[in-house]
Amino acid sequence: MASVALSEAEKVYIVHGVQEMGIGGGHLACFSSPRVWEAQGEKEDLRVDGRGCEDYRCVDVETDVVSNTSGSARVKLGHTDILVGVKAEMGTPKLEKPNEGYLEFFVDCSANATPEFEGRGGDDLGTEIANTLYRIFNNKSSVDLKSLCISPREHCWILYVDVLLLECGGNLFDAISIAVKAALFNTRIPRVRVLEDEEGSKDIELSDDPYDCIRLSVENVPCIVTLCKIGYRHVVDATLQEEACSLASLLVSVTSKGVVTCMRKVGKGSLDPESIFEMMETGKRVGKVLHTSLQNILHKEESLGTKRQKVGFLG
Amino acid sequence: MPGDHRRIRGPEESQPPQLYAADEEEAPAARDPTRLRPVYARAGLLSQAKGSAYLEAGGTKVLCAVSGPRQAEGGERGGGPAGAGGEAPAALRGRLLCDFRRAPFAGRRRRAPPGGGEERELALALQEALEPAVRLGRYPRAQLEVSALLLEDGGSALAAALTAAALALADAGVEMYDLVVGCGLSRAPGPAPTWLLDPTRLEEERAAAGLTVALMPVLNQVAGLLGSGEGGPTESWAEAVRLGLEGCQRLYPVLQQCLVRAARRRDAAAPL
Repeated sequence: MASVALSEAEKVYIVHGVQEMGIGGGHLACFSSPRVWEAQGEKEDLRVDGRGCEDYRCVDVETDVVSNTSGSARVKLGHTDILVGVKAEMGTPKLEKPNEGYLEFFVDCSANATPEFEGRGGDDLGTEIANTLYRIFNNKSSVDLKSLCISPREHCWILYVDVLLLECGGNLFDAISIAVKAALFNTRIPRVRVLEDEEGSKDIELSDDPYDCIRLSVENVPCIVTLCKIGYRHVVDATLQEEACSLASLLVSVTSKGVVTCMRKVGKGSLDPESIFEMMETGKRVGKVLHTSLQNILHKEESLGTKRQKVGFLG
Repeated sequence: MPGDHRRIRGPEESQPPQLYAADEEEAPAARDPTRLRPVYARAGLLSQAKGSAYLEAGGTKVLCAVSGPRQAEGGERGGGPAGAGGEAPAALRGRLLCDFRRAPFAGRRRRAPPGGGEERELALALQEALEPAVRLGRYPRAQLEVSALLLEDGGSALAAALTAAALALADAGVEMYDLVVGCGLSRAPGPAPTWLLDPTRLEEERAAAGLTVALMPVLNQVAGLLGSGEGGPTESWAEAVRLGLEGCQRLYPVLQQCLVRAARRRDAAAPL
């Protein structure tokens, strides 16, 4: 993962800001130096950029940015920039699941994100993220795969979800899951009909109207919430500096109804069992709020229709 | 190994007969959800590896070998601030390279050796679970190689591999804070799902969700956690984690005995 070199003093600064200091109120009156205000700020959860422990940075989501895809989305979360393109192609269903289509994920860590990703450097991170995405979608309720079937055992829609990491500013998993959800919401799969001749040979006919398409329901698509353990508290949406101070994080994938579909511990350190339970609860709480805001924004953007001003890469 | 041309694979459009075979296996028998299968563990069995361990739990058989520490490949980076306790600075700390392989005959269907994404994901899970336990700061600029080979998959393979890898590291004399014990769980689909500890292959295949927990028993710290599927609300997952941690604690004495026996065997075999 892209990392930033922090000195010990900077780490202490971040860790103390996140934890509570618990200094007695009476003693503070004796000191008139600026330390008084610093100590008071440290009593509440205060991060370097002024956020609370459960606050996300400002997220910019825009869909339909790439015209050649069936659906696309771009998400900017602080300094993290993700571009996701979904292409729907016809193929044969998997042997064990002949009535369903499927999703294929591919993550590319571009060398623009950090110099560490040059050449093959970003491949490991890319496979890790792709495997996590496979895991969170690996259940029956996330995406309705049966709607992707055209004719059982012969044809189905395969959705190739390609994630491009343009800039790395911490908290990659969250941003990528938001972008994937937005791109799937934006995906328009052309409607096809299967015509059967008298001889029994099948023909696939595309509908004439280019706007006649099926949309996927993203009600149950989960979003990842990464909780980083800093000191003895945990924070949501860590920046690169905060990730450098944290030894272990818990990745929880939550749907809008609060159902957890995936849990994973990331990092070199270990976690206390009690903190795991606390982090799961926080993840569920934060995840629900994230889902509602994302749904609102996506519906609002959709309702603007063709009048919407496309910002794209110029904003 | 490039494509296997010696076997007769049949015509282009052929499919394996298992697809059409009737599902003659009945549903797995009802059992106590907290039962752990009896475990056979032995350390120090490979002569060529620095440390090794073999673990058998039910039908799952894992063999793990550790080699090193040897000089780390990859560029040298400058030193950073030194860690506490006189350990090497962060940039010079040792590395743990884990490799997880499935034997081609391990599962029901033959899988060619480069297993693809799944093996790399499990290798990464192994590494993330073992790193908290190993004192890598004591092996500056060195790398330790841990390779786990799954000989037969009878359920909770990753948990067995984690335990075997920790035993192998201990057998190799690598400095560790604590052993890592792994435990697998799965949740059966159905109206009243319960989490089953240490599932068999049949239970795992029919499961709606699966979870693997790795615990450091003495320190009571969770070293690794990997779970996915339709697990339900967070309370259900929390219950599963608690069940898994309890299972790990119950497994610990067996592993302690295994290491003591291996040490005695090594003493007896050493020339006086």
